[in-house]
Amino acid sequence: MLLLLMALCATAMAFKPGDPAKLSFPGSYMMDPDPSGEFTTLVIPIKRVSNLIVLEAKVDTMEGNFVLDTGAPYLVLNQTYFRDYPHYGDQDAGGINGDAGTVFRTGVKSLSIAELHYDRLQADVTNLSAIENSRNIKVLGLLGTKLFSKFAITVDLFQNQLYVHKLDKNGEIPTAEVLYHDPILKMPFSYANNAIIFKASVNDNEMWFSFDTGAETNLIDYRQAKKLLPTLQIINRSKLTGIGGSTFEVIYAKFDKLMIGERVFTNNKVIITSLEQMGKAYGKDIDGMLGCDFFGRAVFTINFVKKEFIMYTNKNE
Amino acid sequence: MGKKGYIGLLLLVLCTTWPVFAQVKQNAFTIADDQMVLYLDLKIGRATIDSLLRIADIKGVDIDKLIRGNFDALRKDGWTVTQTANNKLTLLKPLNELASNAQMRPFLITSNMVMHDKQPGYPDDDVKFGINSFLRQNVHELPSGVTRFFLPANLKAKRVLLSGNFNSWSTSKGVMIKTDSGWIYDIKLNAGEYLYKFVVNGRWISDAGNLLKEDDGFDDHNSVYFKYNYTFRLKAFPKAARVMLAGSFNNWNANQIVMMPVHGEWVRQMYLREGNHTYRFLVDGRWTRDPENPNTQTDAAGNINSVLNIGEPVLFKLSGFANAKSVVVSGSFNKWRTDELHLHRSGTQWILPYALPAGNYGYKFIVDGRWMTDPANGNYIEENGENNSFLAVKPTHTFILKGHANARQVRLSGTFNNWNEPGWAMAHQGDTWIISVHLAPGKALYKFIVDGNWIIDPGNKLWEQNQFDTGNSVLWVDR
Repeated sequence: MLLLLMALCATAMAFKPGDPAKLSFPGSYMMDPDPSGEFTTLVIPIKRVSNLIVLEAKVDTMEGNFVLDTGAPYLVLNQTYFRDYPHYGDQDAGGINGDAGTVFRTGVKSLSIAELHYDRLQADVTNLSAIENSRNIKVLGLLGTKLFSKFAITVDLFQNQLYVHKLDKNGEIPTAEVLYHDPILKMPFSYANNAIIFKASVNDNEMWFSFDTGAETNLIDYRQAKKLLPTLQIINRSKLTGIGGSTFEVIYAKFDKLMIGERVFTNNKVIITSLEQMGKAYGKDIDGMLGCDFFGRAVFTINFVKKEFIMYTNKNE
Repeated sequence: MGKKGYIGLLLLVLCTTWPVFAQVKQNAFTIADDQMVLYLDLKIGRATIDSLLRIADIKGVDIDKLIRGNFDALRKDGWTVTQTANNKLTLLKPLNELASNAQMRPFLITSNMVMHDKQPGYPDDDVKFGINSFLRQNVHELPSGVTRFFLPANLKAKRVLLSGNFNSWSTSKGVMIKTDSGWIYDIKLNAGEYLYKFVVNGRWISDAGNLLKEDDGFDDHNSVYFKYNYTFRLKAFPKAARVMLAGSFNNWNANQIVMMPVHGEWVRQMYLREGNHTYRFLVDGRWTRDPENPNTQTDAAGNINSVLNIGEPVLFKLSGFANAKSVVVSGSFNKWRTDELHLHRSGTQWILPYALPAGNYGYKFIVDGRWMTDPANGNYIEENGENNSFLAVKPTHTFILKGHANARQVRLSGTFNNWNEPGWAMAHQGDTWIISVHLAPGKALYKFIVDGNWIIDPGNKLWEQNQFDTGNSVLWVDR
């Protein structure tokens, strides 16, 4: 009991604004988020910014734009606005279950996404200025998978709506709440450090992909690109500027056949570069990422409990 | 297998191999054996060589040197060059070059693809004028000066929002109030073009009563509303059958803007962008200038046009110079014309009120032919090596730096002036350095330059890391 009280005191103290103290035992912040909210299906308007899926949410007292990012493990906050939050632990710069881009880990008192509320969450703080500067939109953070781990979400980019579904005891969306019918694709996925991963084949080469709503196009690791030849059609090569101003290289390419489950998607665009650093974040080498070029083609549902990915044609029949 | 079978097989072989041939032919940049490969025929012409180099992102290579057999630049860029007969080159570079400086998050790669200067969903600032068009008018100007948006019906909805470029397309602000016939929201707007949608129980809908719309880029459209700032009036010709208005703002299209008869005069309200406009009326097929507007200009064809200057009135003033014969103001706002804007004598000062569109300008006074900066203005801008006085019309932000009392000079540099080295000079007032600036809505990054040292703004806790690890201050400007 005393321990608990001490832990509570410690966390309460940690929320003094601007307190740079480091806490080694974040305690309850490491637990799975336990959201609350009075709804069966929540409809949240999506703000489309280029190929990004942007939602408004409120962290503690700060309200603004967040990118729905299934490539992020949980809540990620933008350093520009959260640099004064307390530092938890010494796992700076990519800890045991964080990702390599992390600057430090912290905790927030509350997060609200429309009527969905979370109390006390752990969050990573990192530099998200690249999104802001290329899209000219203020971004407070990223909403990662773990936040939705007890739900299913449906993303309809044709109506720009996100549905958050509460699930029945079988982990299914209650029949009365199912909005889209006749799926064109239904396949199981697994988790790698909270990222959604599944197998897919590119021009008949089987590869591991993560499904990433934060990626505005598909990505394939350069080591995997070798075996895809000669079916890959190169568009061009380009040097891009990363955080810190150092450059890196990418190759833009096209390929004909992306096969996921039984479904074939044609005319795919892809960026070839090194995904080594991102693989580290997942704790598993992945060969590629499926981004907006893929998911922008249809309405999709991710059932985080049943670990199922479903795609529908865009008509609400 | 019969003859047909062979032909079929041949066709099949041709069909399957043809794309590969076609690809090699069109796309001489490829990947093979862990290497990037660029096939280059030096005889194919400079334009094609140039486009191939661009596809392979090879920059700074002199094509003339290449044709003459000098491949140093290519080798310096890490390419292995092999030359075969007939001036054909094969350039190789290992694929693992792609692995250097691997990025940690996908958005760091993909956000690089398309750069947007403007904020998404925001109207083009170049709209010169606008007139609303309603099937059913759901947007009204109230006598109090606020604009009321109305969404009829939807009375079973739990929550309705008004979202638009005026509230950064918020999906949490703009909460509409339910009435017995629909939902209302009041907002104070400045003159301009506004885009909006309603959000009914989380679902986006546009205004069904508004005929003006703009593609939202995602297979739907935003409703467009113009808050007016100008009314054209013509009292003459009350008996005319038809009066049209045309001007520089609509490319002199005489079939577009109809003047409406209201209480014995011809009237047309509209949004007109700030700046200088010329116009005329077409009364029953005959052109006439505005008889009530003394401000005219003769165009190249000899037509006399009426002139309108819409914008913030700026008062240029210069104290002293009692014996001067002429004082003229010249600046970037009038293309540095020296014969246009004459100040007149008023008491101990020379003055000129003049309307200018919002923006940042450089200017100077010309006193009896001698150029000088404004002695009453401590803000300067360097343009083409010239030091000019700096003027911000409708400033949206004031930058302040406290202290640095002994500094000789403090300047402001940022994304808004392309990080140029001289920046804009801040004025020293008391214990602060200060400059007011007009900034476009969106994000601005900036730094102060104190006697040559670049520093982030100590009064702004928002900053982000830059490529030199020295940080840039961050500022968001609302609409």
